[in-house]
Amino acid sequence: MKTTKKYWKGLAQLNNEPIVDTLGQNEFIEELPVDKFLGDQENLSVTNSSRRDFLKFLGFTTAAATLAACETPVVKSIPYLVKPDEIIPGVANYYASTIYDGRDYASVLVKTREGRPIKIENNGTYSNSRVQASVLSLYDSARLKSPLKDNKEIDWKTVDSEIKEKLSLIKDGKIVLLTSTILSPSTNEIINEFSAQYSNVEHIMIDSTPYDGILDANMDSFGVRLAPSYSFDKANVIVSFGADFLANWMANDYATDYVNGRNPKSGKMSKHYQLETNMSLTGANADKRIQIKPSEQGYLISSLLDAVNGKSYDKRLSNIVKSLEANPSKSIIVSNSNDKNVQLLVNAINHKLGNYNNTISIIRPSNLKQGNTEKLDNLINNMQEGNIEALITYNVNPSYSLSRAKEFNTALKNVNLKVSTSLYNDETACLMDYVCPDHHNLESWGDANPKYGIYSLMQPTISPLFNTRQFQDSLLSWIGKSDYHAYLKNYWSRKGIDWNQSLHDGYFSLDEKLIKVKRFIDQSVLVKNQKSDALELEIYETVALGDGSQSNNPWLQELPDPITRACWDNYLTISASTAKELGLSNWTVSNGALNGSIVDVTAGNKVVKNVPVMITPGQAHSTVGMAVGYGRTRAGKAGNNVGFNAYPFLDAKKVVITKVDGEYEFASIQLHHTMMGRDIVKETSLTDYIKDPSSGNHRETYATYKGKLPSDQVSLYEEHDLSTGHFWNLSIDLTSCIGCGECVISCQAENNIPVVGKQEVRKSRDMHWMRIDRYFSSDMTKELSKEEKKSAIDMYSEMEVPSENPEVVFQPVMCMHCNHAPCETVCPVAATTHSNEGLNQMTYNRCIGTRYCANNCPYKVRRFNWFQYSENEKFDFHMNDDLGKMVLNPDVVVRSRGVIEKCSMCIQKIQELKLNAKKSGKPIKDVDAQTACASSCSTNALVFGDSNNKDSEVWRLRNDERAYDLLDHLNVKPSVFYQTKIRNKS
Amino acid sequence: MHKESEIRDPLILGNKTYHDITRDIARPVEGKANKYWWILFGLSLVLFLWGIGCIAYTIGTGIGVWGLNKTVNWAWDITNFVWWIGIGHAGTLISAVLLLFRQKWRMGINRSAEAMTIFGVVQAGLFPLIHMGRPWLAYWVFPIPNAFGSLWQNFNSPLLWDVFAISTYLTVSTVFWYIGLIPDFAMIRDRMSKTISPMKKKLYTLLAFGWSGRAKHWQRFEEVSLVLAGLATPLVFSVHSIVSMDFATSVIPGWHTTIFPPYFVLGALFSGFAMVETLLIIMRKVVNMEAYITIKHIEYMNIIILFTGSMVGTAYITELFMAWYSGVEFEQYAFLNRATGPYWWAYVSMMSCNVIIPQLYWFKKIRTSFIATFILSIFVNIGMWFERFVIIVTSLHRDFLPSAWTMFSPTFVDIGIFLGTIGFFFVLFLLYSRTFPVVAQAELKTILKSSGSEYKTRNHE
Repeated sequence: MKTTKKYWKGLAQLNNEPIVDTLGQNEFIEELPVDKFLGDQENLSVTNSSRRDFLKFLGFTTAAATLAACETPVVKSIPYLVKPDEIIPGVANYYASTIYDGRDYASVLVKTREGRPIKIENNGTYSNSRVQASVLSLYDSARLKSPLKDNKEIDWKTVDSEIKEKLSLIKDGKIVLLTSTILSPSTNEIINEFSAQYSNVEHIMIDSTPYDGILDANMDSFGVRLAPSYSFDKANVIVSFGADFLANWMANDYATDYVNGRNPKSGKMSKHYQLETNMSLTGANADKRIQIKPSEQGYLISSLLDAVNGKSYDKRLSNIVKSLEANPSKSIIVSNSNDKNVQLLVNAINHKLGNYNNTISIIRPSNLKQGNTEKLDNLINNMQEGNIEALITYNVNPSYSLSRAKEFNTALKNVNLKVSTSLYNDETACLMDYVCPDHHNLESWGDANPKYGIYSLMQPTISPLFNTRQFQDSLLSWIGKSDYHAYLKNYWSRKGIDWNQSLHDGYFSLDEKLIKVKRFIDQSVLVKNQKSDALELEIYETVALGDGSQSNNPWLQELPDPITRACWDNYLTISASTAKELGLSNWTVSNGALNGSIVDVTAGNKVVKNVPVMITPGQAHSTVGMAVGYGRTRAGKAGNNVGFNAYPFLDAKKVVITKVDGEYEFASIQLHHTMMGRDIVKETSLTDYIKDPSSGNHRETYATYKGKLPSDQVSLYEEHDLSTGHFWNLSIDLTSCIGCGECVISCQAENNIPVVGKQEVRKSRDMHWMRIDRYFSSDMTKELSKEEKKSAIDMYSEMEVPSENPEVVFQPVMCMHCNHAPCETVCPVAATTHSNEGLNQMTYNRCIGTRYCANNCPYKVRRFNWFQYSENEKFDFHMNDDLGKMVLNPDVVVRSRGVIEKCSMCIQKIQELKLNAKKSGKPIKDVDAQTACASSCSTNALVFGDSNNKDSEVWRLRNDERAYDLLDHLNVKPSVFYQTKIRNKS
Repeated sequence: MHKESEIRDPLILGNKTYHDITRDIARPVEGKANKYWWILFGLSLVLFLWGIGCIAYTIGTGIGVWGLNKTVNWAWDITNFVWWIGIGHAGTLISAVLLLFRQKWRMGINRSAEAMTIFGVVQAGLFPLIHMGRPWLAYWVFPIPNAFGSLWQNFNSPLLWDVFAISTYLTVSTVFWYIGLIPDFAMIRDRMSKTISPMKKKLYTLLAFGWSGRAKHWQRFEEVSLVLAGLATPLVFSVHSIVSMDFATSVIPGWHTTIFPPYFVLGALFSGFAMVETLLIIMRKVVNMEAYITIKHIEYMNIIILFTGSMVGTAYITELFMAWYSGVEFEQYAFLNRATGPYWWAYVSMMSCNVIIPQLYWFKKIRTSFIATFILSIFVNIGMWFERFVIIVTSLHRDFLPSAWTMFSPTFVDIGIFLGTIGFFFVLFLLYSRTFPVVAQAELKTILKSSGSEYKTRNHE
């Protein structure tokens, strides 16, 4: 039964009068006096309602704001719908590939996690810091995200059809492909096909730093325009005239060979003379370094030729000549000169000494440098005359890196079709009609033939991040073909290569016919001494940035120069004495940061203004050095406007510098240059070492009741029991370490180390877990001070000053993992503790940031997170960029602000190894355990392993006569130890 | 009754009766503040607020807003911490040690000196807290049962010892101070009118803790005072010894020194007495306590300053000697660098302010002059700040590996926080001077008839 009780409010409702309806429409039966309330200005201030309303509003807004603040940001993570077979989350995959960006070549292993490359490892050979850092350049948000036409985004179809049409319309004029040196045989074939399709195609290769001198000289001497390959390991004497072969000269694999030829244990250690202007990395490693002016080089090489021909020669060369005579056909003479005549002299010396086919091979040449400046000059002239119809650039940035960039840019206007294939909208690309962005190496297929008979393959390790296309695919599509991957596979299959195996290995070798060369023709002409008093300039490339193509890589920008220890800058290097003559100086300000004078540099009609001056010990008197690779304007947020562009001065010989007012602020991570007479880098000479292997490494002993004992046998503390399980140790050989900084980048990539920027580095707050200390020798020593009866104050103040031509030592320093760690005892909350495997562990979660540990660390290797370095717009580097963050290693936590961090000996890698060993039930192999620094070291200076395994290399090194603990007298018992530096001198 | 030789200088000047003393001491509490008080208070408050702003900025942004770096990880923060802790020591020495030694002259100054101790410790305590990278986790330094597994503190760490030392010190000092205040609060309570200021009356009733002045109360008061003095006395020595161990137990040349505990304790007393003088010379004028804080008090303190200053000087020289005698080049360089390195000016300031200038107190004219004492006390305060700066910064900035050597320069935040604590300190002290009996009047009355100038002359006659 349904009850339909009905209630009404009054008789009016029952009677359905219209008033009820009208009133029902109004929310408020009585009209609110809004007008009266708001209109009455006088009463508004005294009315009671305003306070109540205010409180209501306040309550509402507070509640609303609170509720809004409660919302947590949503980060979406999307699982695989169909999981690829080879990907297991949490397990890294490695792919063999190749890195070649037109300058640096390396065969590498790419570590990928969940489908993204996060780390570059050496594929059993060598690499350098730029190769190591290239993984970050992959995730550069400044890269082009689609093709451009007139700097506007456009789709590939339109680009292709327009370019094809324009190319096919060209009848008379030339089509020029302007590329870097091309190592890829398949690319060369595509270029040939391209040339066949279109008439009048010219392929011009250029190198950012030209090597025409060597190439042309070999053309004259041997009839082939090729660069020889050098075997520095086979040479007993190395004489380098300015060639920085350990860092940037020619190829980047010489360091490995060089160090292999300097093994004091085997008794064979090459003798290395360096005659140079700037203090280069190579000069810093030399056994004997002689300062010369660039203008003297030709004369000294002439004089050396005279000497080997038995004529009279410059007396500065006497030791060199003696060494060369004692080592027939076991030497290498190299020069960085780009003057054909000088290189002809070098060829003549090497020929006379019988080095060809022993230490130098022209029949097995290197392909890394094939650039031709003459062709380039012709190109610019032709462009000016309007003879060039189309210009396609690949891997080059001529508007930035040519000394004639200004002329090139003007002449570019005369070219009808301009296409760039740059990854970036860089200085050249922005002037082009079309930009068809190339893939990054890690997204590309490819091959390379860096050296005679040696090939390597490149394979993509990630799907292209953006709407880009490989250069080779672009060329193919313009000749109506497609799919470079299939093309490449087909190319090598035709040559009978096992594609899958080679791709797996990353490299293969082919037995090829040796290059045919003419018999050596000596065309050298002796050069007279042209030494002048003028200020001379020598251009160099920095170890970090090279030619500047990776300028937008913040890791590289923050990698300190091995010699000056400054980062985020280039500058004019000058010797202390020349600086004094010119009234220039460097000084430190109250927080220790380095400042310097500013000058204008003029060479002919070229001027660069406001160049900072960096006083560099070892720089030859009355010379200056400038580094290229800086002063980019369209590199991206990290690389733009860092330093100045020195490329216009590439051909300049003499410069005039004028001091201008003002001071420049450097970011230098090492402000003190000498060892102050302390026993930090222990050093000895080869002759002493042969006599006594522990020379230079005699330990201090302390008088005890048991007699004289070394520090490690005098201890008040209980020892950690490290006899069972693993005992991870790291040996650092100071003879093998050349100080290149590759390990620093490797460590940065492996351990998610933030980039802090120039201003923070300037405040001595660099975050690198490992650093490579560089010390110059000083004229003042303790012995000398005793002889001269100097006071301690005078002695120390003189010790602070490096010599004019100092000997240099490099020392990588990271957490020493002390087994009596000063940091561990002082942490109030036990955030840093000792593991039973000899590691000093840092628990970020537990750290409250008192920094006591950092103060008490004798090696000063602990780093504090002064700010939040990730996701902070004040530190706008890769960690503040969704794309850049993809490079982070998921196995290593990104530290928050307020905690201390430091080297962990790559505990994540050790742990992975242990877990794998546990799963497979096999013992850990010593060689499998590798820290990032040790695995990246091209010279094998760092050896990591388990000292409890008596078969291990590191155990052998631990017991070597050369092994020593840094600051041994503190008896902190480090797990990291050093091997005495040995210089080949008597 | 206690009898005192008439050749001893009187400790209470003027023709004072018991009631006069009561009136004089209660006046600042009962009356209105004068112009000077407001000016000082306004200035201090501004500094204090500025300091709060700087602290908020630090906690919000990160320790990076200070001038520290990878080599010098402590600078003004710990300098200020040690400085403020040191200042506290004089208060405890005056109220505890001098009580045990029955030094009557402490009665005029112990109340304020101990207030200074507590306010100084409050400032000091701020620094270990805010110098942390993650101060919101500061409670991890306390051994409280936790849910982090079996996590415990590291009892090897001198920082942890600091936590205990300072919290004990603060607790004991506060209790001791408060016990002494009870009879005086009761005096104010009794003078307060229920009708005119009922709230104040209630408050002082509460603070007076039911004191009725019975003989039993006095007896217990005396006993508790003695017991607490006994407890506080070792603290005078232990607190700063432990603070010094932050440095002494480390490996850094210039820190790793066994002389530090006694050297720091003497330094602390030295700076503490200087601060007491600075404060009291102002206070006796601002709240009219000239009759109770006399030149004789000042002279006694000056003698202590002369003594401790000379001891501190001895310690400095001992350090230099030991560095030379040790034959350790790192030690030698650390001290050479202190004196002749880039921070030579800090070392010179320290040496001149702490060792040379206090020697002026050998002259009676200087040690019995309020103005000279005031100026010299400021010098000592500055000198002792520099001593800590020298120890901390010049030792750290050039330690073992020259590659890590750098310098330290403060930012406006470093300076702001330091000034802020000075502001905070004075805000507390000025509020105290208007609400607390600034002289221990109950105790003072016990010596009126023996050491009051009027009585002295009368007894003599």
